[in-house]
Amino acid sequence: MEIILIPIIAALVTAGLGKRSNVWISTLLSLIPLAILYTYFTRFGVDNGWKSIFDLPWISDNIRFTLGFDGLTGILLLLTNLMVPVIVMAGIRDDENRVKLTALTLFMQGALNGVFMAQDGLMFYIFWELALIPIYFITLTMSGENAFKITLRFFLYTFIGSLAMLASLLYLFLHTSNYSFSFEALRAVELSRIESIWVGAGILLAFAVKIPLLPFHSWQADTYTHSPAAGSMLLSGIMLKMGLYGLLRWYLPLAPESIEFFQPWIIGLSVAGILYGALIAIRQKDMKRLIAFSSLSHVALIAAGIFTLTAEGLEGGVLQMFVHGVNVIGLFLVVELIEKSTGTRLLGELGGLAKSNRSFMIFFMLLALGTVAVPFTNGFPGEFMLLKAVYAYNPNLSLLAGLTIIFCAVYIFRMVQFSMFGEGKHEVLSLKWNEYLAFGILTVAILLIGFVPQLLIDVVHSSIIQIVTWVSEAKGVLS
Amino acid sequence: MIALFITFFAAVVLLFLGLNKKESSFSNLAVVALMASSICSFCSAKGICNFAILESWVPANMMLFGYSEHMFASLLAFVAAVIVFAFRKNDNLGTDQLGLIMFSLCGAFMMLSYQHIVMLFLGIEVLSIPLYVLAGSKKESLASNEASLKYFLMGAFSTGIFLLGTAFIYGGTGSLELEMMGIKPSFMHAMEGMPIPTLINAGLILMSVGLLFKVAAAPFHFWAPDVYEGSPNRTTVFMATIVKITAFVAFNKLLTTFGGIHNTWSGWLCVLGMITIVWGNLAGLVQNGVKRTLAFSSIAHAGYLVMFLLILDESKTWILWYYGFAYAMASVLVFLISHQSASEKNPVGFDMFNGLSKRSPWVAFALVVGVLSMAGIPISAGFDAKFYLFSFAWQSSPWLVGVGLLGSAISIGYYFKFIKHAFLVKSDVDASEEVSYTDKPLMLLIAALLLLAGAMPWVLLKWVF
Repeated sequence: MEIILIPIIAALVTAGLGKRSNVWISTLLSLIPLAILYTYFTRFGVDNGWKSIFDLPWISDNIRFTLGFDGLTGILLLLTNLMVPVIVMAGIRDDENRVKLTALTLFMQGALNGVFMAQDGLMFYIFWELALIPIYFITLTMSGENAFKITLRFFLYTFIGSLAMLASLLYLFLHTSNYSFSFEALRAVELSRIESIWVGAGILLAFAVKIPLLPFHSWQADTYTHSPAAGSMLLSGIMLKMGLYGLLRWYLPLAPESIEFFQPWIIGLSVAGILYGALIAIRQKDMKRLIAFSSLSHVALIAAGIFTLTAEGLEGGVLQMFVHGVNVIGLFLVVELIEKSTGTRLLGELGGLAKSNRSFMIFFMLLALGTVAVPFTNGFPGEFMLLKAVYAYNPNLSLLAGLTIIFCAVYIFRMVQFSMFGEGKHEVLSLKWNEYLAFGILTVAILLIGFVPQLLIDVVHSSIIQIVTWVSEAKGVLS
Repeated sequence: MIALFITFFAAVVLLFLGLNKKESSFSNLAVVALMASSICSFCSAKGICNFAILESWVPANMMLFGYSEHMFASLLAFVAAVIVFAFRKNDNLGTDQLGLIMFSLCGAFMMLSYQHIVMLFLGIEVLSIPLYVLAGSKKESLASNEASLKYFLMGAFSTGIFLLGTAFIYGGTGSLELEMMGIKPSFMHAMEGMPIPTLINAGLILMSVGLLFKVAAAPFHFWAPDVYEGSPNRTTVFMATIVKITAFVAFNKLLTTFGGIHNTWSGWLCVLGMITIVWGNLAGLVQNGVKRTLAFSSIAHAGYLVMFLLILDESKTWILWYYGFAYAMASVLVFLISHQSASEKNPVGFDMFNGLSKRSPWVAFALVVGVLSMAGIPISAGFDAKFYLFSFAWQSSPWLVGVGLLGSAISIGYYFKFIKHAFLVKSDVDASEEVSYTDKPLMLLIAALLLLAGAMPWVLLKWVF
């Protein structure tokens, strides 16, 4: 409970202090949940299923305020609470909106922790919506002209998706024996195939919009491009993972009878998304837009891996969720610094930044290598596992999906080359302590996961095995 | 019963005290009296203290205060106290206004607790007659006079229709006592093949018309927007909250009595509910005035509450209590803010909220909480209220619940108008002409209450029921 409440209180404190709050205070406040998370890992462990660690009657005796913890939740909490301090530290140069951004980011941290821990369907839905509110305000008030249009499209997409999910959850709720929203009760509802497909479709729509899968992605690029850096980081680094987490935690266990129906569609759309995102990214001139489409491509691979329903695909998916969060936040931070120094983020107008600031160049290169999935960086093990899982499902598809490695190298190195090398037109500002710290955290994450990915996979293993077992029980076939 | 006594004596005292005094000097007395009746009702419901002597003064076949009646009386007195306190700075109105409000509340208590149709009728009259006066209490305003006349004429007709229904029911069942009334038709229904007398059906329909008029449900809602807009704000809130909740409690009692033959009336009531929800929300979308929008929102809420009438389970009155609580608190909050926002330049339109987030962020926050609670957005009390209502009504009237969900989705359209004007539209008024807000602590307190009740409704309900 405290891991949700403390960030929200921190947000209120930051908002209350106003201009008097400085980056030290906000950073320290955003780091407290990380310490709490450490105690969760030591106290509750990750091997004994999804344990309730907080429980209170809320709307009725059977609709409870229940928080759970296990390896899967732990990884997502780690990502959230490790990356939010990075985002907070990154916001220091944006003086005009700093306080507002920091407060909303901290609020978001609390809501996201709630999303990942909720063990009650209604609570999950409410935190899901609550996490939307800060980002809605960030894009609405800080993304320049067209803000209203962009935000409206983003809002409508996500809101319609969430309503569909609510309808599905309500349908399950009304069929539980004791009118309960708890995960266990919802899972115990017996559905016919047709019912399951409808319920599954509702839940999937919400997640497909958030991930985003191919036909539901059109809100993404504009929102990422025009939001302030913190907004893009939150959206791509952490909020996307809500959708993927939802697939693993809520969709697969609750509507397993429908998986067979949706599996080919989702994998097909994902592979299409991988290629579509990558090809469009190659053509982009705006760095933020490039990262947005690259993100579309990477996340689609995770979705495809998850829908292979093998333990390898799911574990690779979770690992890659974490890795993608680290990399994309790093890349947005790089772009933010370049834009703050030079006033532009168009590749055509940049060049030769490497000469002016060596350490910045090294950080950028590391992030680029991680994104391209070079061995011994964090991107490699996850991508390898995912592609392997897709290969087991269908070799031809995996061939198509595998092209992403080549395409990714093309667009990422194109971005590095045009911005960092060549004729020097601009200089990068020297980094401040907070940016060094942010890049330091990211570097450690990149190298550590690159060398010992097992660290994260071990944490999540037992949760994944549990989910795969449920799915295979429902289908009666599967490894 | 204790609430009725306290309120009545306070009303008499206020009426005489204030013959030639300004109201503001006595509003504190009224608030204290109302709070006292609220607390006493609560205590007698909980059995903390016992006012049995008072109960025995009125025969139990006329009025009876049981647990839920005490709770509703407590809620209504509390809401009335908040209303009187919030709008206490109506300096140009006489103290007789306070007396009238409290007399009207006495009528509400009678309607809550009636055991005999005559008491229900008396309650409706005692509730309505002061309201006719209060609606016209801005004597120099044309709109107020119009509101008063409209309300009076329509109200008189609806009461006439209600009385005709009462006569039919008496003819059909041979009694006007609640306990006796339901027996004959239920018995007849239980014996297969015996038709229900037309008199009973017709009587029930006519009585329902009278009560649907009071709650402003379609197609008997036409008076509501004009009367709400023309009346002084305090009277409007009173009508939108207390009158509506009371009429629903009374209506529910009446229909529960005829629960044995519910298949004869649930059909048309369900359809009326659907019409009310759709009409209220669609018409709300196209309004320009704040008070008119709120009037249509209150019509839509009457439509949602029709679901409650169809649940027909006496152990579920807490749903109505909680819904009434959430709805009344949010209404008081939004009306209070719009009352204080109205300026000479923007007396009625949404422009009154322009730039509120810059001018006064805390008031803007309270407004958002109030509006979101009315819309039923999570972690406000309005969400939980709608959740309870819809999920329990699902069994008895799934189609109406479906329409209700659709209506709630539509309603977001006009509720967001408030937020849009408060946060996105810049103020076009100079700093010197800006209205100042008094009672900010009260606004924040109500907002906090809505959030708190929304965050842990079950704790509240377990304590209350």
